[in-house]
Amino acid sequence: MNRAAFAEFAGRFSESWVAVASLVVTVLFLACALFAPWLSPTNPYDLARLQLIDALKPMGSPQVKPGEEIRANFALTQGQLIPEANDTDFEVEACGANCFIVGLADSSAQLMSLQLRGLPRDAIVDGASKHPIQPWWTLNAPENNQARVRFENLPADARVEAIARTDNQPTGFIFQLGSDAFGRDMLSAILYGIRISVFVGVAAAGSAMLFGTGLGLLAAWRGGAIDAMIMRAVDFTLSFPAILVGLAILAILGSGVEKVILAVVLVQWCYYARTARSLALSELNKEYIEAARGMRLPAWRIMLRHVLPNCLPQIIVLFTLNIASAISLESSLSFLGVGLPLTQPSLGMLIANGYEYIFSQKYWISFGPGIVLLIMIVAMNLLGDRLRDLNNPRFES
Amino acid sequence: MQVVQTVFQADEVSRVFEPARGTIEKLTDRLTGKRPAIVQAVDRVSLSLAQGETLGIVGESGCGKSTLARMITGILPVSGGTRRFRGEDYESFLARRRDALKVQMVFQDPMSSLNGRLKVGEIIGEGAVVHGIVPRSRMREHAAKMLERVGLAADSIDRYPHQFSGGQRQRIGIARALAVEPELLVCDEAVAALDVSVQAQIINLLMDIRQESGLSMIFISHDLGLIRHLCDRVAVMYLGRVVELAKTSELFGNPVHPYTQMLLAGMPRISTERRTFMPIKGEIPSPLNPPSGCHFHPRCDRATDHCRISRPDLREKGPSHLHACLNA
Ligand SMILES: Nc1ncnc2c1ncn2[C@@H]1O[C@H](COP(=O)(O)OP(=O)(O)O)[C@@H](O)[C@H]1O
Ligand code: SF4
Ligand SMILES: [Mg+2]
Repeated sequence: MNRAAFAEFAGRFSESWVAVASLVVTVLFLACALFAPWLSPTNPYDLARLQLIDALKPMGSPQVKPGEEIRANFALTQGQLIPEANDTDFEVEACGANCFIVGLADSSAQLMSLQLRGLPRDAIVDGASKHPIQPWWTLNAPENNQARVRFENLPADARVEAIARTDNQPTGFIFQLGSDAFGRDMLSAILYGIRISVFVGVAAAGSAMLFGTGLGLLAAWRGGAIDAMIMRAVDFTLSFPAILVGLAILAILGSGVEKVILAVVLVQWCYYARTARSLALSELNKEYIEAARGMRLPAWRIMLRHVLPNCLPQIIVLFTLNIASAISLESSLSFLGVGLPLTQPSLGMLIANGYEYIFSQKYWISFGPGIVLLIMIVAMNLLGDRLRDLNNPRFES
Repeated sequence: MQVVQTVFQADEVSRVFEPARGTIEKLTDRLTGKRPAIVQAVDRVSLSLAQGETLGIVGESGCGKSTLARMITGILPVSGGTRRFRGEDYESFLARRRDALKVQMVFQDPMSSLNGRLKVGEIIGEGAVVHGIVPRSRMREHAAKMLERVGLAADSIDRYPHQFSGGQRQRIGIARALAVEPELLVCDEAVAALDVSVQAQIINLLMDIRQESGLSMIFISHDLGLIRHLCDRVAVMYLGRVVELAKTSELFGNPVHPYTQMLLAGMPRISTERRTFMPIKGEIPSPLNPPSGCHFHPRCDRATDHCRISRPDLREKGPSHLHACLNA
């Protein structure tokens, strides 16, 4: 298309604000798909970074770093508490006869708890609660990160273990859209999900376009028995619901990106074949085709260089509409568990993952991907509709 | 007398169009014994064209002129009859694609006869490049040369067809035909879609080209004035058949067939307005269901019972004056 015609087309396109909005939204989604690794705050598939403590957090929750444990062993011999090995994490101070203060050397961060294990039965740990059965004394939020241990009499020899627990620390990262059962950030998962859904959708719809358009042109060019065969195959394909074809293919072949693409091609090729054939037939009746015949051009050249470019605008419109339906078919299949493998979670699989939590009020796992998928498909459909209307003079008012 | 070489010859060529039928329709047709309605667009037409000659074909809309033109150009296969180019059978001639370029056509509709998605340079140069007449690197140069030959600026090669007026587009169509060095140019109503003033320019261009290159031409029109001005011989067609074929002076001076006479009677003497047919009395019969015998009999005032039954074949009136009337 040349510049003047494009300007005119753009002018007519922008007469509808819905169309402009859907174009903007579609472009945003495409940008999300392309730049997901740079846009997304975390890499949701970096398993090393997932922590169970972050699982199922609602929207806006902070991420936490779980508290740490510091352990040290001491030997209690002849009224003395002596650290085993060269442990410098803890310090032991005497506080009179049969009295020790056990504390963490570094007292900058307040400990959540300090536990002492294995003390003799008659030990008294100030402020601590004793485990009902085990010889464990736990002091919550110890002052100065220290515990004071006293004995009425000379204590028996024992092996003592001190366990200092630090509190969970917020990391500053917020789960804007909550987290899933693996503690994965839903915002990042959605961005990556858009990427996978859009890539699979575009690749699948594109393959269907190539295959279907090729067959449609072949039918228009050869006519006769080949035409009849291709068009009956189109009718046959159209008589099955898309989801049924998809389920059947994936049930037989198993899940995988290339199998989802194959399923979409088998579902969608017929639309391109039908459209390309009828467009090509009407182009073949025009005088410029007769002129090309008069130039004794080979048939393939007439079809590809003269007929195809004149059919392309409508085929591209069909392509934009079919990307949306390829994405929704892939999402449906993934939701049903037969689409993409677990390592490539598309939006459909994210929705499916959240499905089991929806009735326990953890709606956000399905909610986010669901809304995003909805907006994306509606925008792409509106855009495709507008392009189709502009391409079809009959729709002009 | 000098021996005149025949460039093109058609011998009883016919063309029928059948409506496109699906498999099911074909089957029900066969079961019910119904024969699908067929159009006999061209019915056993014989013509020949000498080297350097211009043959006019005239007739009302729908009488099969374009169909005949397409068969002559080899764009459309014949349903019957034979075509020859310089004595060679057409099928083998067309099979040698590069030689087949010697017959070219200029189309009626300057809008749809150019592919709107290609630049003018590509439209003109494509044939020559594909057939190796010029290398691809020289395509633009070749196209520019052709554009200058038809009176357009050489820099038009980078523009698209819609940027030109109807007359300019028709020049581009002529340049496209000339680009492959044709020997026979078939012009199918090449000026019918243009304004009268532009028509004259295009006609002058065609006459110049004919003079420069000694092209043989078949000039199809329903404009009798143009035909008279341009052609050496004229064939008059009616409902797919040639009804009269004679030298131009002979045909205009001494028309024999009642149809030709009616056409000429309707032709205005003073050529100020558009010199096309005056509507002549009677309706044009449907080519789907043509009248029996002589197709012209429902409109002919000399018709007899014989005309309704038997088909008049071409017969000689004088030297090289043929007509198909039983009562002339
Ligand atoms: N491709 C076609 N299919 C069916 N009928 C055709 C086709 N081309 C022409 N015809 C029919 O053949 C007849 C002659 O058409 P045409 O050669 O275009 O006439 P003209 O050029 O003299 O106006 C018309 O009745 C037309 O309807
Ligand atoms: S054959 Fe008969 S009907 Fe036909 S033109 Fe001659 S007189 Fe008229
Ligand atoms: Mg015509």
